[in-house]
Amino acid sequence: MKRLLPSLRAKKRYLAFELISEEPAGRGDIVKEVISSASSLLGDVTTSDCDIKVLGFEAGKGIIQCSHTRVKETRAAMAALTRINGKRATLHVLGASGTVKRATEKFLQDYTVFEPEVQEKKDSRQVPGKVN
Amino acid sequence: MGKPKFYDFCVHAVPDGDSTAQELVSLARHFGYSGIALANHSDKLPDRKPVLPQVEGFEVFRGIELVEENPSKLHSLIGKFRSSMDVLIVHGGSEAVNRAALENPRVDILNHPAFDRSSGLNQVLAKAAAENGVAIGITLRPLLHSRGTRRIRLLSDLKANLDLARKYDVSLVLCSDAVSCFDLRSPMEMLALAEICGLEEDEALEAISKVPEKIIARNRPGPGYVREGIEVLEGEDLV
Repeated sequence: MKRLLPSLRAKKRYLAFELISEEPAGRGDIVKEVISSASSLLGDVTTSDCDIKVLGFEAGKGIIQCSHTRVKETRAAMAALTRINGKRATLHVLGASGTVKRATEKFLQDYTVFEPEVQEKKDSRQVPGKVN
Repeated sequence: MGKPKFYDFCVHAVPDGDSTAQELVSLARHFGYSGIALANHSDKLPDRKPVLPQVEGFEVFRGIELVEENPSKLHSLIGKFRSSMDVLIVHGGSEAVNRAALENPRVDILNHPAFDRSSGLNQVLAKAAAENGVAIGITLRPLLHSRGTRRIRLLSDLKANLDLARKYDVSLVLCSDAVSCFDLRSPMEMLALAEICGLEEDEALEAISKVPEKIIARNRPGPGYVREGIEVLEGEDLV
């Protein structure tokens, strides 16, 4: 099938995000949870407008694509996510950009995923496995 | 006008929540907050006075969330904790408690006002809140952790309170009410969620930055403070 003209294609935004969770998760899990959280929070109609797709996810960070008019809704849906595979998790949006390349360069390259234990040489009172 | 500063005024650390104050502070700092208030419930206070983590460029406020069913005991608790706390929150949940909290100008925030079939506020209480400068807390944790019927109830209560707050000019505070670091959300996400839940952009921004700043300014008066409305100014402040 003939590809749509560039001027006719839907405009998109790319949200770079990091995953902060009890246990590491895969891309498939994130897709499932984000869509389910979006459809629960926004309803199926608005979620379809958002056009949410998880483009890539590795090493705790990734990029989510959404419609350029629905960035707010997408962010809210990502924030409403509380668990992945029954384990507690949150997605932290690092920033939004108009192209995948720019989003990667600006937010993901040289970005180390947040790990509280590394930042602070902490006492041993902490329950193991609480924060990854 | 510079970049707004964001504050989260209701965060529960160990033993009230799961995470230590240290973890919450480092994550909140990573998310771009300028300060958080550690506000444990008054029935789950640690045995000794907690040592607040000191982090440069980040403020940790002393707070407390009072849980008390009896209004007169609540008033005495407020008197007991007021002077030592930067942020004093009352955990609402019945008409008597909501009323007692909103009619006491020494209270900063009323959280969870909803009970039974009511959103927790009415025109009388909203007027009292505006007069006494008590803010209504919008807590995100219940919204995040519920779905379906329960979340619908929470949202409709929130909208009812929002309408009253707009009409009577009651200030709102947006807070996470986090009990673990997985309940914290970054300021931008808090704003996005608040806007989805019915707040206007400027209302949400005010609820997460300006109103908390005002509360702190009120409870931590400057050096020349004499009493409400009277302040000794010196040097460049005079200009």
